[in-house]
This record gives sequence, C-alpha cells and structure tokens, in this order.
Amino acid sequence: MPLLETHALTRRFPGVLALDHVDFAAESGEVHAVCGANGAGKSTLMNILSGTIHPTSGTIAIAGQPVAFASPADARNAGVAIVYQEFSSIPELTVADNIFLGREFRGRFGVVDRRAASRAAANLLGRFGIALSPDTPVGALGVADRQLVELARALATEARILILDEPTAVLSIAEQAKLFAVIRTLRQQSLLILYISHRLEEIFEIADKVSVMRDGALVATRDKAALISVELIRLMTGRDVSANAAPTPIDGQRRTVLSVSGLSEDGAVIDIRAGEIWGLAGLVGTGRTSIAHRIAGLRRRDGFSATLNGAPLPDDPAKALAAGVVYMTEDRKRDGIFGPLAVTGNATAASLGRFAPGGFLRLGRERAEAGEVLRGLRLVAASLDTPIGSLSGGNQQKVLFARALLARPKVLICDEPTRGVDVGAREEIYAVLRRLSAEGVAIILISSELNEVLALSHRIAVVRHGRVSAVMDNAGLDEHALLVAATGAGEAARPVVKLAGKGAIPAS
Amino acid sequence: MRPPAIGAPLIPGLPRIYWALAALVLAGIVSVPQFRTLSNLANVLDQSSTLAILALGQAFVIAGGMIDLSVGQLVGLITVVACMLFEAFPGMTLAVVAGCLALAALIGLINGELINRLRMSPLILTFGMLSVLQGCIFMLTDRSIGQAAPSIGFLANGRILGIPVSLLLVVAVAVATWYGLQRSIFGWHLLAMGNSPDSARKAGLNLFSLTRITYLVSGLCAGLAALLVAGRLGTGFPNAGNGLELDAIVAVVLGGTPLKGGKVSVAGILGAVLFLGVLSNLLNLLQVPAFTQIVVKGLIVILAILADRPRRLAQPA
Repeated sequence: MPLLETHALTRRFPGVLALDHVDFAAESGEVHAVCGANGAGKSTLMNILSGTIHPTSGTIAIAGQPVAFASPADARNAGVAIVYQEFSSIPELTVADNIFLGREFRGRFGVVDRRAASRAAANLLGRFGIALSPDTPVGALGVADRQLVELARALATEARILILDEPTAVLSIAEQAKLFAVIRTLRQQSLLILYISHRLEEIFEIADKVSVMRDGALVATRDKAALISVELIRLMTGRDVSANAAPTPIDGQRRTVLSVSGLSEDGAVIDIRAGEIWGLAGLVGTGRTSIAHRIAGLRRRDGFSATLNGAPLPDDPAKALAAGVVYMTEDRKRDGIFGPLAVTGNATAASLGRFAPGGFLRLGRERAEAGEVLRGLRLVAASLDTPIGSLSGGNQQKVLFARALLARPKVLICDEPTRGVDVGAREEIYAVLRRLSAEGVAIILISSELNEVLALSHRIAVVRHGRVSAVMDNAGLDEHALLVAATGAGEAARPVVKLAGKGAIPAS
Repeated sequence: MRPPAIGAPLIPGLPRIYWALAALVLAGIVSVPQFRTLSNLANVLDQSSTLAILALGQAFVIAGGMIDLSVGQLVGLITVVACMLFEAFPGMTLAVVAGCLALAALIGLINGELINRLRMSPLILTFGMLSVLQGCIFMLTDRSIGQAAPSIGFLANGRILGIPVSLLLVVAVAVATWYGLQRSIFGWHLLAMGNSPDSARKAGLNLFSLTRITYLVSGLCAGLAALLVAGRLGTGFPNAGNGLELDAIVAVVLGGTPLKGGKVSVAGILGAVLFLGVLSNLLNLLQVPAFTQIVVKGLIVILAILADRPRRLAQPA
C-alpha cells in the first residue's frame, strides 16, 4: 500500500484550475521527484499536502487512512512536514533553538529550557547524520548548513513524509552533495521524500521516481531508471527543447571592451572583448558576486582597477551604469524587482532619464519602448500594468533583462540569470544572451550551474578566494575539468587548465 | 556548554548605556554640588519611576516588532479617571485602583484585538488610539479634576526605610518583565516574532495571541504609571501623559533594543531611564531654561543612539 495517495485531488482558484483531478501515489523509503514548469501545479499540490491550502475536491490518504488537514499543524501531526524554498529559521537563535521553535522544552516556572533543547537537538542531528553543532547561532552558518537546519526542524516533528521545495536553489555543487547525503540517510530510514526541483541533473542524481506535472495535471510518473532527460523535458514542457549547443567561437580580432587588472592571481590583465561571453565559475561563497559588484561600482573597488573602452571605469554605481556597465542581480526579490510596481516601471527603472526630457516622464514613449523590448523577450503577462511581483520567476527575470537592455549595456553582468526560472524560460534567456553577444555586448556570466557556463561562455574564469585563479578557453572543457579547477582538487597536476587566451598580457 | 542568551545578560557585560550613565553621574558629582545629596538621588529615582514602568511595558511591544503610541494619552486618561473616582468614592481606594488597572488593560487589549482583526499596522492603529484617548480625556475635563487618595500619594512619594516606594514598584515590574521577556516561553515566542513574523508563523506560533497579550501588558503598565502620576500630582491633570509615549520608546531604544524588535534588554532599559532621569535632573539643577532643556535632551538622545550603533562598513545598497 502506498504511504501517500491522492485521489482526484482538485483545486480551483478564481479563474484558474490549479490542480486538476490528480491521482498521485508514493511509497515510503523513496525519493519522489515532482517536476514541472512554473505554474504546473507543483506548489499547489505540496501546499495541499502540507495543509496550507484546502482542496476544492478529492481525497488524500496516508498509509490507507483518509486524512483532511485544516491547518499546517494538522498535517504536521499526521507526519507531513515541509521545508520551504525560503529559509524560515531565525538567524539570531541557535540551531537547537530553531529546531524546537514553537515546541520548546519547559523548565520550572515555564522557563525555556535551552539545555534540554540543545541535548535533544544533538541527538536528532546525530540520528540523521547531520554534522552541525546545536549551539551555533544559525546566522553564523553557511547556506548549506542553514538548509540542513530547515531539514532538521521538519524532522523534529517525527515526519514520515518530507516535502523539499527546491532545496538546492541556493546551494553550490559541493554543498548539494552534503544535502544529498542527508537525503539518502532519510530514505534508508524509510521516509518518503517529495522532492521538487527545476534542475534536471539533480533529479536524475537523487530521485527514485519522477512525477511530472503540467497545467495542473499529473502527466506521468516514471521510474528514474526508465527516463532520459530529453523525454523529461518533453513531458514538462509539452515540446522539444533544443539540447545545449556549445557556443560558436567569436573571432579573436574583436576589440577589448572591459579591461581589469589586479584581479587575477598571477597578476595578468583580464581583457573582455566585444561580443564575448565570459563565464565566471566557482563555488558559491568564493567571491564571484563580490567581483561583479566591484566591477559595477556597487562596492568599493579596492584590490583592482578597471577600464572601459580604454577610459577608467568610475567607481560608483550610477556612473558605471551611465558608462554602460549593467549588473543583473542574483536575488531578484531582494534587490532586483520593485514588487508592487508595474512591469513598465520595472523595465525602465535604469534608463528613466531617457524618457524624461526636462524632468517630465513621457509615459507614452516609456511604454512604447518598454513594450517593444519586452515583446522581443517574449514576456508573458496580462498587461504592462501588471505588478511584477505577481509574475513567475522566469517572467520577472525577463523584465529585469528588459531593464538591462533599455540601459543600453556595453558590458552586461548576469549573476545567476536562470535561478528559479523554469526550463522553457531558461532556454529563452540563453537565446537572449546569445543574441546580445552577437550584437557585440560583452557579457560576464556568473552561474553555479556548470553546464550553463559551459553552454554559453567563450571563455571561463575560475574564481577562488575572491580572485581569478585561471582563465580557460571553452574548448574541450567539461564539467569535471571545471569542477577540478573550481575546487582546487587537482592542485598538483592541472593539465586541462590553460592560462588566459589571446587577451592576456603580463602585468607590468 | 551553555547556549548564549538571546537578550543581553542581566549582569555580565552590562549594556552600553551604563557607560553613558556613569559618565553623566560622574560629571554631575564633580560639577554640581546639589547633585550628590541623597535626597536628590531619591528624587531622581522617584521622577524616573513613571517612565521606567511605561518603558518596560513598551519593551514588550517593541521586542515583538510592534509599537504602541497610545500609552502616553492612556496615562493621561487613567490619571484623570482615577482622580475623579478617588474623589467620588473616598473609602474604596483599592476597588478604584483595580478598576483603573482593568480599564487600562482593556484599552490595551482593544489595541491588540483591532490590530489583529483589521490587520492594521500597529503604528497607524495606536496613533489613531492616541487621538481617540486624548479626545476622551477632554470630553471628561479640560482642567485638572479630582483628587488622588492619600495611599496613592504614598505609592508615588512615600519612603519605606528611606527607600522610595515607587522604586520598589519599579523593581517588581522590572523583575516581572525580565522573566516575561527574557526567560519565559511567551517572551521567547515574542522575540521570535520580532525577529521574523514569517518564520514565527511557519513555526506554528500564534501571532494573534502574542499580539493580544503584548498590548494588554502595555496597557496595564500604562495604568500603573498613571497611578504614580496621579499620586505625584495629587490631581487629574488632562495633559499629564503628553509625549510620554515617545520618551518610553526612546528609553527602550537607548537601552539597546532595536526598533525593529527581536532583541531586548531589561537592564538596558532601566539604565536608559536612569540616564534620561539624571540628564533632566542635572539640566534642572543647572537652571537651564525648560525649552532649552528639550533641545539639549533631543540632541543628546540622537548622539547616544548614534554612539551605540554597531559599527558596520558602509555598504551601498
């Protein structure tokens, strides 16, 4: 008998059928991936299973017993726990405090017994093979460890069914391995893990079964062994998506647009040429974003200097932007979008001066130009007046691309441009980057997904400890070689790492 | 190993405001002769007691990431109502005290309940309540009215073995606040809510009930403070509470509790109240004109908060 079973589960929102008669079943002791494009109904299904929203009709059974959840607390009592995509632990509290938040140990006089919590947490962490000290403040942990804290919080409720919503969205590859090790321990202890993810590679790595959703319906459930990635993409999107093509090399005679000295370990000047996509690979936390911020003038540029088309690049965000260096953030929600504002205003935010001769906004012109760029990016939105916060991640990212394009970039810095973006939109973003490159924009691409860096970049720089440790031509490179360079695993012998291409000249 | 405490510890590593307090006291002792008399010290403590109790109540609200602007006018209303009732029912002091505290707590509860039900920002709602209460006071009276019972005067100005009775009351409220905020499960949950309401909700905490209790406590403290005010003034002065809410908020923030909540230090708040009390006492003794005092006080508060701010590297947004 399946541990979890739904029958004809349906959820109707005003005007939308978010979930359409879903019959879903999963066994204990398996990692069951649920995938699908944005808006396919994954989140609705998980929110119903975790008691956050109620189904319009249909039934849920756990171990054959029908259940109905009035609240998340009900679901938790029935053994269903969810780990949200956004961290919900409190940084000021310790690991143990967070694990038992809301279910504290009571000492005498209703005093919080933190020592008992610390002991119980140590016990719990040990049982699931999570290497964390219970007394560390969560704020002092890295993202991967914070993710594990979230996991431990869910496990502390004695869950039998654990829902993980895009758990690796913010993790680097090395950190991901840590998470997967814990997930495998949980599987051994016969938990059912429902694993929601956009990233196909990791679904293939960790899942036993894969269920695909599209337009609110469950399209298929397959054994991973019987599935290949092209088919999975086809099931998710309903169409074939072209496989990643290696970039066409650009001709070496292009002029240098951005020149950076003092950034690479060996002291070489880094030249980025017109139309070049320059990948910046490396583990999360090695300083890739900091380099991007400093080039764009968002942070004091101590340690290196940069010139744009031969002229010194101003060390100030507004001036760098005016000079043509545009930075696209890795964290849309935090410092990318203006959530409640309309699509138009979000798109023109970096180029408003152009639409306001004499200080008065020409709304018609603003709208026309924004609309044209957004159409080119194939934005899907009800209208240009829709608040950007209500769009899917992929469409938000397209609007941010429009903002960058309207600012007429000479150098475009994309920090994790496909994070939280579904497969279809991802391909479209790749197409945009390739088009910009063909038009002569120099692009610095930061990505934790090595295949993305490999598919797009002409040259790839590896960052370690805040500096560029190697620059490689993207010819004959594979993920393994890149990973070796990024982690420094092959320090003794670094055969595939070839230093700098034509642009590199020794620093004086 | 003992886990680090969430609030500032009571004894080790005294909150930073005590350095400013020590400096101020030292300056007073050196330069103002009248300052060092025992009776002046008792005077400072007496005068600080109202603000201390009000600030301790506000500490609950701010620790939870909220604010209560209505407490000043609540003090005014309860002062007026209490004095009217004391005069009308001379033999029933205890009943009047209980009734006034209950009324204050009820108004606090209404604040919390309205914030919950209307899903309103505490700033806006309690600002509205400030105005409502002020209107109520002036509907009752536009001049001082009634007379405080003698035992209330003793509460505010009396001495037991030379110790001000109001000081004993402040100590009792401070201990209760310290337990409530820094040791009890309720305080733990309130601080979690102040840190991140979203995380707290996801952890299954009942934010509505936390909000309700918090404003009830704040109202109750305002009631207690009002009795002290009534005792000191001896009569129901309608403007008695004007501006007290801001003094209370300043004391809480000066004491090391961030305005966005999530952290609290009862010891720090007491230090800040004393700092403000000593400051205005010194300015009085130096015969600085009243309006100049307001300016000086404002500047010193800004300086003190600036000095207490954790140093961070300037980071462009």
